Amino acid sequence: MLEQRLYRHIDWPLLLALLILCVIGLTMIYSTTYDPLEVGVSPLVFTQACALLIGMLGLGAVIWVDYRWVADSVPTIFVGLVAAVGYALWFGTSGGGANRWINLGIFNLQPSEFARTVVALALAALFSQWQRGPQTVMGWLWTGLIIGLPFMLIAQQPDLGTAVTLLPVAFAILVFAGLPLRYVSILVAVGIMITPVAWTYGLEDYQRQRIASFLNPEQDARGAGYQQIQARITVGSGGALGKGFLEGTQSRYNFLPVAHNDFIFSVLAEELGFLGVVVTLSLYLFVILRGLDAARLAKDRLGRYLVVGIMAGFSFQVIYNVAMSAGLAPVKGLTLPLLSYGGSSAIATLVAFGLVLNVRMRRFTN
Amino acid sequence: MATNSHQASRWRHTVRRRVSFAVAVLVLWAIAIEARLVQLQVVRYDEFVERAERQQSRSIETHPKRGEILDREGRVLAYSVEADTVVAVPVDVEEPLETVGLLCEVIGCDGSQIKLLQKRLSQPDRQFAYVRRHVSVNAAQQIRDLDLKGIGLIKEDRRFYPNKELASHLIGYVGIDNQGLHGLESRYDQEMKGRPGRVQIQVDARRRTFSRVERPPTTGASLELTIDKYLQHIAERELRAAVLEHGAAGGSVVVLDPRTGDILALANEPTFNPNDFALSTADVRRNRATQDVYEPGSTFKIVTASAALEERVFRQDEIIDVSPGVIYFGGRPIRDVGSYGALSFADVIVKSSNVGASKIGVKLGPERLGRYVRRFGFGQAFAIDFPGQSRGIVHDPSRITESTLARVAMGYSISVTPLQMAVAMNAVANGGELMAPRLVRGLRSSDSHSEVPGRVIRRAVTQETASMLTRIMEDVVSRGTARNARLAGYTVAGKTGTAEKIVNGRYSETDHVASFVGFVPSTKPALTILVVIDDVARFGGSVAAPAFKRIAEASLRHLAIPPNVDAPPPILAPVVPRLVQQVQVSTPLEPESVSEGFMPDLRGLSARKAVAVATGLGLSSRLKGSGFVADQAPQPGQVIGRGQELTIWLNRTKKAVSELRSKR
Repeated sequence: MLEQRLYRHIDWPLLLALLILCVIGLTMIYSTTYDPLEVGVSPLVFTQACALLIGMLGLGAVIWVDYRWVADSVPTIFVGLVAAVGYALWFGTSGGGANRWINLGIFNLQPSEFARTVVALALAALFSQWQRGPQTVMGWLWTGLIIGLPFMLIAQQPDLGTAVTLLPVAFAILVFAGLPLRYVSILVAVGIMITPVAWTYGLEDYQRQRIASFLNPEQDARGAGYQQIQARITVGSGGALGKGFLEGTQSRYNFLPVAHNDFIFSVLAEELGFLGVVVTLSLYLFVILRGLDAARLAKDRLGRYLVVGIMAGFSFQVIYNVAMSAGLAPVKGLTLPLLSYGGSSAIATLVAFGLVLNVRMRRFTN
Repeated sequence: MATNSHQASRWRHTVRRRVSFAVAVLVLWAIAIEARLVQLQVVRYDEFVERAERQQSRSIETHPKRGEILDREGRVLAYSVEADTVVAVPVDVEEPLETVGLLCEVIGCDGSQIKLLQKRLSQPDRQFAYVRRHVSVNAAQQIRDLDLKGIGLIKEDRRFYPNKELASHLIGYVGIDNQGLHGLESRYDQEMKGRPGRVQIQVDARRRTFSRVERPPTTGASLELTIDKYLQHIAERELRAAVLEHGAAGGSVVVLDPRTGDILALANEPTFNPNDFALSTADVRRNRATQDVYEPGSTFKIVTASAALEERVFRQDEIIDVSPGVIYFGGRPIRDVGSYGALSFADVIVKSSNVGASKIGVKLGPERLGRYVRRFGFGQAFAIDFPGQSRGIVHDPSRITESTLARVAMGYSISVTPLQMAVAMNAVANGGELMAPRLVRGLRSSDSHSEVPGRVIRRAVTQETASMLTRIMEDVVSRGTARNARLAGYTVAGKTGTAEKIVNGRYSETDHVASFVGFVPSTKPALTILVVIDDVARFGGSVAAPAFKRIAEASLRHLAIPPNVDAPPPILAPVVPRLVQQVQVSTPLEPESVSEGFMPDLRGLSARKAVAVATGLGLSSRLKGSGFVADQAPQPGQVIGRGQELTIWLNRTKKAVSELRSKR
């Protein structure tokens, strides 16, 4: 039984905000996949609804157990994640040119979606031993291993987008762990120096093209710039008040590809207009700030780092995806958590927020 | 412990700073995003809506039907039919060379066409290419049967001129895309081509269609001409006959309605078939009656005479000395055919004395003659319906020498179009008013009908002058130079003209423009007819006057204009009471259904009804006896033509009529 005191300390506003975002997401998926030529609701809507339900159940389950107890079994969890990602890489189901999924019979699970949370958990557990981040070579090696192993495996799938989301998680934990500024500067400098090398060796042609076409989408309107242009048209044609629910012609007529997935935010902007966007963005902002608040309130380093890591991964996705949907960042296969279609993502996100709530509600317990 | 707590507080301080920094970054991001969205959704809203609509809807233009061209009775002179056009989608054509081979077996191609088609069909990136436009129904069916990959048929409108050469210079023709290129087709292209329709289709990115919004095309306006198809046919037939008979280079005929200025017929020779206009040369397609000028010669003496009469410079019976048949102005001779001695003013015109006309002209002076030249419309372009019409060449009267003046008076040193000459004569025919020649009576579209009113340009001469001129011109025909124009039953007023053509800078003895212009019946004119035969060795009286006569004869019959001299007895017999009682028992029969081109059975009809039927068929009736129709020639069922004569034998006896009734 959940203690009465714990129950009282559940962050209900945050939970409510998450719920509203889930509902908005489901509604938008319904709208984009609604095909006037075919009868009935798209099966994608059911899948997403099921995933959200599972995610909520997962969230509820995660609240039950003390996060410290969870952190104690971090080696098992981490090994499990690496195994799952590795399994997906070598034996998984492929889709869109990448081996990301494990076929579970009823649905396909994308283990890489859980990587952010697990990495945050592992790093939090590791860093909780230290005052100001890894100060020793061994410490750095462990840190590198925890980030590097899943990163390499996910990047191999290849799913560079998801892999890259691990970096802000680690970076945020490092920074919030109080890593001296000179280390932070070195990290940033190394990051900048790696960029041209990564551009040449790390990226595939299509990825380079995407970035190039972001800088000048009209140059290649039929190819890589297509999504970029269509996203802009979709958002722009929505106007201040939007075209109305089920009236988003851009997304429904397939002009904007994978609208229900990567570009769900553009659909929102098209159908609900600037007004809907402001509401949704406010919700996200509320969730993120509330998360930071939870980090502030956390009673120990473990909880603080865990929340920071989770919120960093979440924020990075939101920031990037919204910027991309608004045409301010190159197209990258990054979903908008809670809104985009994607069962694994929904479950992983909700479970992660279960941990955030967990940390917050146990701020007074011992 | 102290250092530890100190360290902890410093650490807390650092972290707080970093949290603030993160929050600041987050807020900045939120502002940036909102700003961006305001830019996209509010500032550039219209642009993106437009772009979204553009890519989401396909709009297809549908071609309007081109208006028809009708004659004054509504008979069709030009209309559009649907024709099959063979098109290719080169992307889908698999074996271009083989396909071209099969196609050419059907549509027939020469070497260069085969090469061109092979090139067109071997463009794998193209979506559309014409193979052959407007193919025959047979060819279309054969191509449909071939069922070649990437080859299809589409319907296109094709202009069709059912009467071929008839009125071709007036109607003109259209190009392959139905754009008016010549004649009325060009002049009224805007009105006739209609407004294209538009089909708006909502499509998705896979080009599936969702909804259609259609705006149907608007059919273009139809032209109603003043032309009478039959009179046009008569004019063309007789003109061609005259040109062939005399080996002339060409000619024109203009037939006007004196009361309205309507152009009833306007013919040119040589002519062309507008259905195949590309086979003819531009020279042949020229509307000579409005685009070419000629020196009118003696026909122009009418203008000189009307000026003299109107200005009272001469009286009709004033004697003018025209001996010795030659007169010199500025050292250049003006000659008559012979020496007429002394002629009255009227006889100067009747005998067409050049010396007399030039003396009249000189006495009039340049100012007065020039005024009448302009009053009759020479040097002006008033026929709005003729693209490319000429104004003619008229000298400025203030800078004219006496020698030129004398020549203008007899129709030289001035150039006019045949239409101008006809219009001038028309003014005399209708009592002095210059009527604008009208070719288009009205425009009819699906929802409106606009009339083009007839227009009086000005009064050229007074009615008295006009009637004096008419009398003089009647004499020209009855005892002057135009005796070949005399018609049985009708009085004719007219004037011949023979102008020597300038060949190599000199007036030629053998190349003449022979013309005749006149109107009939002269007492109540129904037709003004001008005949111009170009490039003959003979004279107006012997070349143009007979053509005039034939045209007038057939046209009057067609229009059922009653003769004004030696008129046959009235068709309706006086009502005799006794006979009426007899006929009361046998009510007149109604005419049977009348089919064009065949003689209906008129027997048993009343004389009045029979004549009405005959007139409707364009026959002129001759009645023998009185009562009901007993017999007729031509017999029922015989092939008849317009203008043919019908003889009807009438009988009053009850027996004969009832016999007929039982026979029917």
